[in-house]
Amino acid sequence: MPKNNSEKYTMDESLSLKITDLSINFGGLKAVDGLSIDVKKNEIFGLIGPNGAGKTTAFNCITQFYHPDRGEVLFRTKQGNVVNLVGRNTHDIIKLGLVRTFQNVEVIKELSLLENVLLGAHIDFKATIFEQALCLPRARREERELREKAAEGLRFMGIEALKDAKAGGQPYGVLKKVETARTLMCEPSLIILDEPAAGLNDSETAELTEIIRNIRDAYDCTILLVEHDMHLVMNVCERICAISFGEFLACGTPEEIQANALVQEAYLGEKEFKGGE
Amino acid sequence: MNNNTSLKSSSREKDNILLRIYRNPYFRYIIFGAILALIPIASGMNILPSSYITIMGSVMIYSIVGIGLNLLLGYSGLISLGTAGFMGLAAYVTGYLSVNVNAPFIVALAVSIFVVVLIGVIVGFVSLRVAGIYLAIATLCVSEILRKTFEELEWLTNGFSGLNASFPRLFGIQLNRKSTYFLIVVVLILVMMLTHNLVKGQMGRALHAMRESEVAAQAMGVNLLKYRLVVFAIATAYAAIGGALYIFFIRFSIPGTWTMALSLNILGAVVIGGLRSIYGTVIGCFVIFAIPDIVLKPLFGDVNGLQYVFSGLVVILVILFYPAGVKNMREDFFRLCRFLKKKINERKGKGEIQ
Repeated sequence: MPKNNSEKYTMDESLSLKITDLSINFGGLKAVDGLSIDVKKNEIFGLIGPNGAGKTTAFNCITQFYHPDRGEVLFRTKQGNVVNLVGRNTHDIIKLGLVRTFQNVEVIKELSLLENVLLGAHIDFKATIFEQALCLPRARREERELREKAAEGLRFMGIEALKDAKAGGQPYGVLKKVETARTLMCEPSLIILDEPAAGLNDSETAELTEIIRNIRDAYDCTILLVEHDMHLVMNVCERICAISFGEFLACGTPEEIQANALVQEAYLGEKEFKGGE
Repeated sequence: MNNNTSLKSSSREKDNILLRIYRNPYFRYIIFGAILALIPIASGMNILPSSYITIMGSVMIYSIVGIGLNLLLGYSGLISLGTAGFMGLAAYVTGYLSVNVNAPFIVALAVSIFVVVLIGVIVGFVSLRVAGIYLAIATLCVSEILRKTFEELEWLTNGFSGLNASFPRLFGIQLNRKSTYFLIVVVLILVMMLTHNLVKGQMGRALHAMRESEVAAQAMGVNLLKYRLVVFAIATAYAAIGGALYIFFIRFSIPGTWTMALSLNILGAVVIGGLRSIYGTVIGCFVIFAIPDIVLKPLFGDVNGLQYVFSGLVVILVILFYPAGVKNMREDFFRLCRFLKKKINERKGKGEIQ
């Protein structure tokens, strides 16, 4: 993997994330093909597309779970400099201020909700393993402070009362909130939400809309989300990009996307459907 | 409302300061150590035969090793089959240093831990890049290479004749069998406490995450290779401590001790005790290493290979009928009590109606 750390990258001051010509193949299948997106700072940006359009694959390419074959992912870190994410280690991405959730909630069942959130502060622990084993002052202080911070995160999501409950056996909606609270621990500048509304009922989805806006305002960050629930997407996103079969279709405000003929075709099928109207 | 509840809970905590001490995990470890320390005292008063000192001392030594293996297997899901080799290497290095070089106990222990962990980390670094069964294969090979080396490298190990050592000297005091036993108790309790701290802290959470969801761990910044290596290094360090204590306590080592059978026995003890359980590992080691000597020998006499038949049977039974291991027994016992109580109450209720 090429390490591009030494190269200097520049992008427009107003941007948080700039994806250029992102492509990845799986044995001949072009899952994402030449995708280019600009995400502005402090924006709530949606990525939509029919099933199998490559939305999650695109996310995995951004967060380096997959290493793309081609393309650049420029990102403004929370320290303020611009870096190319491509080729970096998966576990180093969070240090730059980019954190994500997963389509099927990935929480640790054997840990309590608070400990699950604390996992999000993994990179904030500076005490060495020896200090932890001997419970030296620095390790104790860090644990205490970050526990307090994790409890705050749970309070923000409105589930502080459950903090000592084991994650295993908690309802899906609660686990989704835990996963979101976990992303807030590292004070991110960009949060990627992979289908945040999947498996939630209507009232939970309505609550989620509020939560997403609150997070953006309270934590002063950019949010990029993939979602199937069109109601949520159209409500919460300021700009939307639609893709289909790995290729870019359209990008614009919710109204523009709703009116776009290509997007309608991708979702609703061939022209004869429209002709029948 | 919130204020009120916190006040209430703080006053409740003050009331039950004894309960809080009782609930303190460190206090429990110390009590556990005190109970273990009773055995030589009991044998001094002729309540228990003096052979129990050796048996229980060995159980504790294997427990230290087992706790390391449990950390490795229970948290990262990796299996090491090289436990015996690493233990043996530590035993020979410690023995050689204290007998031939006349090094103090602490120095010999530190050097042997360093040597063993160094070899362990090299093996780990090569095999841990690929997850799965490769660590087991690599450690098995290393263990066999080490065993063969013990046979051939006579200047260090004295070959098949075996290496003789003596009880350790600690701070200028020559220890005997009983005081060495107490030393082992102290080391075991320290190892249990250190492991407890590690498992409850940042590292423990990272290991939990690696086991249940590698993607979540990576997204949160956990370096998988680093933590696999660290936990493997800890497991080998514990094996080294166990090996060093072995040579000081048993005072004799032949290459035949450090075979795969020992590695598998310790693995069996971990399985019986239950994954991710510190106390469970000690109980598992007791079942595997003490029951054959304490119970089976008096019953059936000195039958060759009986220990292996027994440990094999126990492992199979535990996996079939009690896969979570001994660690669940306490909870299951309380559940059974509650169940019986409910049944009895129901009976009583019925009787009154009639």
